[in-house]
Amino acid sequence: MFSNLSLGFGVALSLQNLALCFAGCLVGTLIGVLPGVGPIATIAILLPITFGLDPVGALIMLAGIYYGAQYGGSTTAILVNIPGEATSVVTTLDGHQMAKQGRAGVALGTAALGSFFAGCVATLFIAALGAPLTKLALLFGPAEYFSLMVMGLCFAVVLARGSILKAFCMIMLGLLLSTVGTDLETGQERMTMGFPPLADGIDFAVLAMGVFGFAEVLRNLENTETRDVVRAKIGRLLPGWDDIKQSIKPVLRGTLLGGILGILPGNGAVLGPFASYTLEKKLAKDPSRFGKGAIEGVAGPESANNAGAQTAFIPLLTLGIPPNAVMALMVGAMTIHGIIPGPQVMTKNPELFWGMIASMWIGNLMLLVINLPLVGVWVKLLQVPYRLMFPSILIFCCIGIYSVNNQPVDVAFTAMFGLFGYLLIKLGFEPAPMLLGFVLGKLMEEKLRQALIISRGSFMTFLERPISAGLLVVAVAILVIALLPSINKKRDEVFTE
Amino acid sequence: MSLNQIERAQGLRVRSSQDLAAGLFMILLAGIAFVMSYELPMGTLRQLGPGMLPKSFAAICAALGALLVISSLRFHGEKLSGWSWRGVFFVLGAACVFALCIRGFDLGPIHVPQLGLAVAGPLVILISGLAADDLKPKELVIFAVVMSTACALLFKYALSLPIPLAPWLLGI
Amino acid sequence: MKKLAIGLAAAMTLALAGGAQAQAYPTRPITMIVPFAAGGPTDIIARIVGDHMSKTLGQQLVIENVAGAGGTTGITRAVTAAPDGYTIAMGHLGTFSAAPATYPGLKYDPINGMQTIGLAGGTPILIVARKNLEPKDLKEFVAYVKANADKVNEAHAGLGSVSWTTCTLLKGQLGVPKLNAVAYRGTGPALNDLVSGQIDFMCDQIVSVAEQVKAGTIKAYAVASAQRSPALPDVPTTTEAGLPEYQIEAWNGIAGPKGMPKEAVDRLVDALNKALNDEGTKKRLLDLGTVLPTAEERTPAGFAALIKRDADKLSPALSAAPK
Repeated sequence: MFSNLSLGFGVALSLQNLALCFAGCLVGTLIGVLPGVGPIATIAILLPITFGLDPVGALIMLAGIYYGAQYGGSTTAILVNIPGEATSVVTTLDGHQMAKQGRAGVALGTAALGSFFAGCVATLFIAALGAPLTKLALLFGPAEYFSLMVMGLCFAVVLARGSILKAFCMIMLGLLLSTVGTDLETGQERMTMGFPPLADGIDFAVLAMGVFGFAEVLRNLENTETRDVVRAKIGRLLPGWDDIKQSIKPVLRGTLLGGILGILPGNGAVLGPFASYTLEKKLAKDPSRFGKGAIEGVAGPESANNAGAQTAFIPLLTLGIPPNAVMALMVGAMTIHGIIPGPQVMTKNPELFWGMIASMWIGNLMLLVINLPLVGVWVKLLQVPYRLMFPSILIFCCIGIYSVNNQPVDVAFTAMFGLFGYLLIKLGFEPAPMLLGFVLGKLMEEKLRQALIISRGSFMTFLERPISAGLLVVAVAILVIALLPSINKKRDEVFTE
Repeated sequence: MSLNQIERAQGLRVRSSQDLAAGLFMILLAGIAFVMSYELPMGTLRQLGPGMLPKSFAAICAALGALLVISSLRFHGEKLSGWSWRGVFFVLGAACVFALCIRGFDLGPIHVPQLGLAVAGPLVILISGLAADDLKPKELVIFAVVMSTACALLFKYALSLPIPLAPWLLGI
Repeated sequence: MKKLAIGLAAAMTLALAGGAQAQAYPTRPITMIVPFAAGGPTDIIARIVGDHMSKTLGQQLVIENVAGAGGTTGITRAVTAAPDGYTIAMGHLGTFSAAPATYPGLKYDPINGMQTIGLAGGTPILIVARKNLEPKDLKEFVAYVKANADKVNEAHAGLGSVSWTTCTLLKGQLGVPKLNAVAYRGTGPALNDLVSGQIDFMCDQIVSVAEQVKAGTIKAYAVASAQRSPALPDVPTTTEAGLPEYQIEAWNGIAGPKGMPKEAVDRLVDALNKALNDEGTKKRLLDLGTVLPTAEERTPAGFAALIKRDADKLSPALSAAPK
């Protein structure tokens, strides 16, 4: 392993590759931080600039862009409550609350440090165990995935800040929205009203930007007081000793959870931050702090996010199978450079394989180097008067959404979901569980139907397969733990009236 | 007799208008979804049809909505608060104007030429800016020009995105 | 800022020249719509070919990814655009030949309603199976599938995808149209379950599966083209293996709206040919397992004939496919 790693560092530490890694991280961060431009859009936008490079350099730069974009997505989640992708939805919950309390710098710093730590661990993890862990991914068939998604949905219940009943509503609504679009198997249009742009279903970016981005702008326009508080209070820029002490354990746990879930193909990495948040909230002495700016709610999920982002490379590099949309884009990038990913990349292109792993670590270091100084800049941005800030958010959102598919109608849809999100706020619903339901819903239906076709219609397949059964047991346990106190609480509330 | 029972004895009345509206909203959405997926076949267990999950989810949504309605009659909660239509109108309107202008649009009798970012950009900022209650018109106009130029330079030139700039003037 | 100023100045000059039309096509960047997300097989071929075409045309060929509805959204936009030669599209087997039979409400007519430019490259289709599936060769496989039609599971990457289209053709020819089909969202997840042995077989483009076959994680029965592929020289063709009627290729080609000026068509055909004759471009395409088009297929008429031929071949199986 060490000889391999040194080969990797030999490749990654060449001056050119270092420069490319730095450039990638920097550009990725700067583009990814624009509200409305998530990691997938960022990578798609920046993909062409790597065309002229040699394959190893291009991939190192792309990996840099990927980390930068990931972190950029978390930055917008904290600063303006717009998650760049599904994995940073959780960060909005406490991260943005921290920003509202004048602790944006601390939140960003914690996210950067936690991510760096998680990145380091995950890199070692990939280098040491990448090959054997591949088998884990192959143990998961459709039935196991379905059970995993069910477990994921149970996490969503715990995410709720207020009423559990309303959280359930949002999850189901997310699931319902996820079924819009052409049916994968039969090609029948479902709930599209014959409107062609809906044929591929609702885009995650469109939904997230609408219910988070636009709706947040509308909410802020209404409450002049709260948004001015953000501007008035600028606390310390970096986490202090107390903050770090509070974050250490969540970071460790988040790294472990995110790292393991990230290996699973079929976008297991999405679950990492949610699982980490659930765990921290359950372990906390005072769970009511969560959703009101608890630092553990940023440290844990952000570490899980980055660890998962990193270990998601394992199925790609060892199996040659991309586990999610971002990785599919990386496959495209590799193919353009003449490297077709497959199980033999490790043996056939060792300098590429180990060079990339080494550059992951270097990329994480660069991210820290770039972002700690930038924290001050981002926090200063919060001082821009809101009357200028929200039109800027809006124009970036519009251009970003438009650029994903070059479809103007996507922008109009986002506006529609903005109205929808505003209604949800008014009705006291939290959008985060809905987004989780939405993301998991598509996979869940796909996996359910696959599993049932393979098992010829027997639901027992979910219980007969040990991993699947185990996951379902965990799901039930989570649900029971989540529901019991709240049932008691509701009773208490009534008693105190 | 516990307080709970006293409360219950007072009969059903709306104790949380927010929860009541939320419950009705869920039922409404579920109804729409059910109507829209009405014709989709449910399929069999072995081969689930395209209608199975949408209809099941819609049914659960409606049930949850009904639970919300019931709980709004039994438990105290938030009241519905005021609405601010000014924000909704200008902010979401601005996004829609962007969607209409960027590539042009034909909708029945309405024909919008392809105006590009050079027009759509400033329009987004100007229109959405009207939503602010501390509006400063002169500042907004300058900001619209500066910001649109910056966006054009960033997205069109630095990142060379295929976004139309001003096809009617520059041909790109 | 400088670029903007230059652009403005150029526009002024153009306006002053006032309809003189002295300049030859193309005078501004050409948009080539790729109806799939960036990074997919069609996008990659479009970028490699487009890169060289830009050099010949003297104007940038801008790739615009307009994904949606199996690629039909992007193609609809391209073929309904103004026929000025500045909007063209790179489509594939699915969008040009299979779409009319797959999507009943299709808003364009690939046979009569567009101007073909030429074929850019074909990708052979491979019949692959999990590594421990009993049959050893294609003949045994055909017999096995027919005998165990209720047991075998086939994977595809979603209705309208290349793997769905080509596998539906295969199932139609084998007389087992109702074989269990497991739908996945994209080739990646389907391949994952094939490698782990959850499903039995699939058909897909060689570029997506060749590395897995080389590594022995899955096995290939045959390649559905006239010649063996240099990427996998040990895999027999369907003709050699005893299923000669199964011949299909996932090709990618360029087309534009009907009524484009002849000058523009000629310039684009010329640029495409120069790109395909360029050694560097050729090598990059061949590395992907692409089959370079014949001289005939590189012409508008030849490409149109190919679209028609494959549409005729596919439509009976696709129309009869259980949906």
